[in-house]
Amino acid sequence: MAAAAGSRGFGLGRPGWRARADVVRTVFVARIKIITRYKGAILMEALLPIVFAAMPVLLGTTVASQQGVDPGAVFCENTMVSGRCTTNFRLYMLIGASTFTVVSLMLWLIGYWVRREQETGTLESLALAPARRIWVLAGVTTYAFVRAMIAFVIAIALGSLIFQVNPFERGVATALAFLALGLLPLWGLSFMFGAFIMKIKEADSVIQVLQWILAFLMGVFYPITLLPPIMQGVAGLFPPTVMTDAVRASILDISYFYGSAYGSLAVLFAMALIVPLLGYEVFEVTERRLRRKEGVGHY
Amino acid sequence: MSKKKIVEFSRYPVAFVALFVQIFLIIAMFLFASLAFTPGGRASPAAGQQALGATVVYGFIVGLFLSFTLWEIGFSIREEQTRGTLESLYLSPASKVSSLVARVFAILLWSGAMAVMAIVFVGAVVGGLPTANVGLALLVLLFSISGFLGMGFIFAGVTIKLKETAQLLVNGLQFFFMIFSAQFFPFAALRQVSPLIVDGVSKWLPVSYCVDAFRSLLIGAEPELGLGMGAEILIVVAFGIVSPIVGYWIYKRLERGARIAGTLGEY
Repeated sequence: MAAAAGSRGFGLGRPGWRARADVVRTVFVARIKIITRYKGAILMEALLPIVFAAMPVLLGTTVASQQGVDPGAVFCENTMVSGRCTTNFRLYMLIGASTFTVVSLMLWLIGYWVRREQETGTLESLALAPARRIWVLAGVTTYAFVRAMIAFVIAIALGSLIFQVNPFERGVATALAFLALGLLPLWGLSFMFGAFIMKIKEADSVIQVLQWILAFLMGVFYPITLLPPIMQGVAGLFPPTVMTDAVRASILDISYFYGSAYGSLAVLFAMALIVPLLGYEVFEVTERRLRRKEGVGHY
Repeated sequence: MSKKKIVEFSRYPVAFVALFVQIFLIIAMFLFASLAFTPGGRASPAAGQQALGATVVYGFIVGLFLSFTLWEIGFSIREEQTRGTLESLYLSPASKVSSLVARVFAILLWSGAMAVMAIVFVGAVVGGLPTANVGLALLVLLFSISGFLGMGFIFAGVTIKLKETAQLLVNGLQFFFMIFSAQFFPFAALRQVSPLIVDGVSKWLPVSYCVDAFRSLLIGAEPELGLGMGAEILIVVAFGIVSPIVGYWIYKRLERGARIAGTLGEY
């Protein structure tokens, strides 16, 4: 009798599947409602990759034309890997900058959510709620994903018009598959990042610097084969790098960092299996430790 | 107030280091990107790499000061609003203009140090940078910063009025100047896209003259906007004198409006 009562949580509510889905939905709707109050934010996020891509495009075009050479041809020559390259440097930069925005936004939104809850004093209450943290996190990450994808789609569409490039010539389905698969490890990375922010607290500066480390390692503006060998190794183990590289390779028909589409797919698949589990584990361990020591509401 | 900001800064070493690292990463990324367009890449002649490095880093330095001035004053006002200390601060007899300038003092000092380190870093990567007319270039930078302060004052007023949304506006403005004032590339790049961009937009922005004069002086080249160095310096000096006066006047109007409406400390 006692065991049965204990297994049912001593009368406390144990959320079932419907309740869990409701937690995800409620968190998601709440975040969406908040962001719809700041409509300019979404527009700015969509413009960011275009501005970001425009700078190297403008700089590169001038550098090449000052030397009297075709920028596309020079770019192709300098970024050639295994005899394959692209002259479409505008699309190359646009894809890089847009995927970077997705990665950066996912991390930024999760990190900032944790910090905001700490600041407003609601993180502690969340930790006391009967809903498991994974469902709350699932709601926040879904929101981050939707917001990032809105920015991505607008950036690609608007950027293609501005740069006069066509991203739909080839490999769109493969690119979307890589993007979808790449989002799973990104989910895991977001959890880890949230845990990190919860621990160190100085969210703004960490997010900002991490953003640029990401951009540097992901090869937003150049293939990572241009980096020194050790950095190539580090960058190759980083899921967003593999995702960006694969999306770009499938659309521009250039070589993949892991040799072929199957190579990159295998690596990304392994990352998609390991990183989310690892990320959630890191989040739970960090939260548990913080709760034991000082509580998660410390601001 | 300046001392308070410096103390605040020193208490967040992670933020301090993060800013520093960020600068190097941004520059390194743009250098890598531009090398992808240089015939021969890393093996290209040193003179070409130096000219490229100079264009990127000198424009970046002006952009750095502009960005920090725009962000810091408004952001600091917003922070006071959030903490609830703005209303009390404005009831004290302290001078408002000193309070505004003091907010950027620490970050400007730090930006100066970062600018020097950025030059050293890029110089080391590309094998030295041209440094002609350093004295005059510093004078141009000084007046440019004074002009940026005026823009910062306006944004402080806008922050009081628009609150959270003002940050979006600053973000947008930052991007606008990044592109149209050619902070990371020469104006020739914009002219290649369309001469109308330079003639119709860039030439009407004082910030463009700050970037062009500072960069051209240090590189030892003719300015790109076509007015000649004398005229460009004159524009920068006028901007440095007029902008803080106009900016402060606008700020005062916005602040007065908020006080009358009772929304000064509203969060």
